[in-house]
Amino acid sequence: MGSLGLRHALPLLLFLLLGFAAPLLAVIGYSVMPERTFGLWQAPTLENYVNVFTSTSWISFLTSLTFAGLTVVILAFACYPIAFGLARTFGRWAPFLTLLFTIPLFVSENVRMYGWVLFFIKNGLMLGTLKSLFGFEIESWLFTRGMILLGMVYVYLPFMLFPMTLGIAMVPKETRDAAYDLGASRFQVFREVDLPLSMPGIVIGLLLSFVLAVGAIAEAKVLGGQRAIPITHDIEIAFTYSQNWPLGAALSVLLMLVVGVLVVGVLRRFDLDAILGRR
Amino acid sequence: MIKHGSSRRNFIQGSAAMATAFATVRPALADRSNELNILCWEGYNSAQVLDPFRQSTGATVKAESLTNDPTMINRLRAGETNVWDLINVNNPWARKVMWPEGLIKELDRAAFEPFFDRMLPAFKPPYKWAMDDSGEHLLGMCQRFGPYSFVVNTDKISRATAEDQGWDLWNDPANAGKYGILESDDWNVFNVCCIAGIDPFRVHTDDEVAKFGEVAKAVFGGAKLVGDIATNNQALVSGEIDFHLTGGTYSVSPARADGAVQLRGITPNKGPMEGGKGGISWIEVTSMVNNPDLSPLAPQFLQYVQDPATAHTVAFAEGTFNPVAQMANPDCFSLFTAAELDAIQWDSLEEEMAKSIEYDIVPDYDRLLDIMTSAKREASAG
Repeated sequence: MGSLGLRHALPLLLFLLLGFAAPLLAVIGYSVMPERTFGLWQAPTLENYVNVFTSTSWISFLTSLTFAGLTVVILAFACYPIAFGLARTFGRWAPFLTLLFTIPLFVSENVRMYGWVLFFIKNGLMLGTLKSLFGFEIESWLFTRGMILLGMVYVYLPFMLFPMTLGIAMVPKETRDAAYDLGASRFQVFREVDLPLSMPGIVIGLLLSFVLAVGAIAEAKVLGGQRAIPITHDIEIAFTYSQNWPLGAALSVLLMLVVGVLVVGVLRRFDLDAILGRR
Repeated sequence: MIKHGSSRRNFIQGSAAMATAFATVRPALADRSNELNILCWEGYNSAQVLDPFRQSTGATVKAESLTNDPTMINRLRAGETNVWDLINVNNPWARKVMWPEGLIKELDRAAFEPFFDRMLPAFKPPYKWAMDDSGEHLLGMCQRFGPYSFVVNTDKISRATAEDQGWDLWNDPANAGKYGILESDDWNVFNVCCIAGIDPFRVHTDDEVAKFGEVAKAVFGGAKLVGDIATNNQALVSGEIDFHLTGGTYSVSPARADGAVQLRGITPNKGPMEGGKGGISWIEVTSMVNNPDLSPLAPQFLQYVQDPATAHTVAFAEGTFNPVAQMANPDCFSLFTAAELDAIQWDSLEEEMAKSIEYDIVPDYDRLLDIMTSAKREASAG
């Protein structure tokens, strides 16, 4: 039956493989082509990787990883209480609040970013109102690194919140009640029951938001005024103004490798199958 | 099936062979009389420009807009000559790159040169940027153009001061944090050269390249923001910044059309380029791609946009607003309102173009861009 199923699934598998693997292979192929060329069938070279390692590209890698790391840490602490509330305490308000967190996803990220610009810009909605109503003149927060971080936390919040909510909802009420019956304090229940049993949702939220945040570009461009240059920006410049597709491809491959290694490392540390209770 | 000596496998093999054969011959049989593909700067891809052409021809017209010339040229180089029928880029590319590399076709001089006679005086035929080096082949049609150096908020810096100080505005350390930079890196290479006192449009010595790197780091380090046109205009209006590079009629006209006439494109009085000029201008040239199966609608579209009403629509298509060469024709000029003429700085256009060098290819662009990208990265790290 298994082989029959496999045979029936084969066309779809091939289609998916083609759609998923072919672009990746093309990127890897371009990364070993001579710089500033556009064909895929020339003698391979590692010069693009040498160029990356001898340039200041590490600054952009570090910028992306730092911002993604900070975003994930802030989101983890910010989202857990909200997720706990959504899963356990908000009751009939939970669906409405979930909707409020979901609605922004229906609006393009760039549009939301420009909305924040109008809100935060000098003499804009916030600073202009403060100035005209209360006479406060505050320096603009736009085009700073802090604003980039705020934008990333805002954009990626749902990707941490919803897996976390599901994770917390998976914790059986009976287990918590049993812990209380056995004399555990609220903190002990949180540490010994809630946290470990909701870990699948937390880990998935951490991974999802980190992988998305490390590829972020709009926040640094729109809210940050390029006060920080993430690696995705370097990749974009390589593929556009620089017209150095092989360099852009090499940067992309290295970014995939860095993210891949980090994700695999986390998955090894937290065995999702084990924490999901499959073995 | 047995009677015909066939089997299911044979049938599939036969079908596959036929499909392959059909796919092979299909390009030769393709009828492109009813479709047109345009690779262009924004404006030509707008519904205002394309819909009347679609309605009059019944054709399927697809236009893709990009915001830098090198990307468009390299898409043709990468094999997309069999996709596009028209390409709309800035002046030097047709004459210096696309024609020598066989990426574009020539236009029928007899049919198209009369249009140049009806353009502004600077475009009188044979117009340099529309012709090849020999002066025999007409390579494209002209329409939008404009000066493009930098933009100031004249409430903060007067036009006269900005024109006199010119690129030295960026050499004054007191101006750090008061300016923005448009994310238009090819033009930023030109401008960083100008700030460094170097003519961008020639090969540079190692000392000049080193100076370029130092200046790039200082310019990007002192910028309040690097962003797109909307962000820079918004920052000028709100008072976040007082001036920005790169900019000119093209970038500031939407803000001026919206009432922010205190913002103004500035062309410096002096600079490091030939004749001591400090400004840079651009002129778009639209050419027919050397497509082996070129749409017959390509020359028809080039004629369509020369019509006075269409030329006015192109000038004020969505995105940015620009002067057009067809404004020499009274039928076209009369369509522009006083507010529209003010938005495109018609009052100083001739003077600004005279103070500008026409945009050209930087011979060592790749080297300078890599240095500038690195400088930008290092400046952002603090």
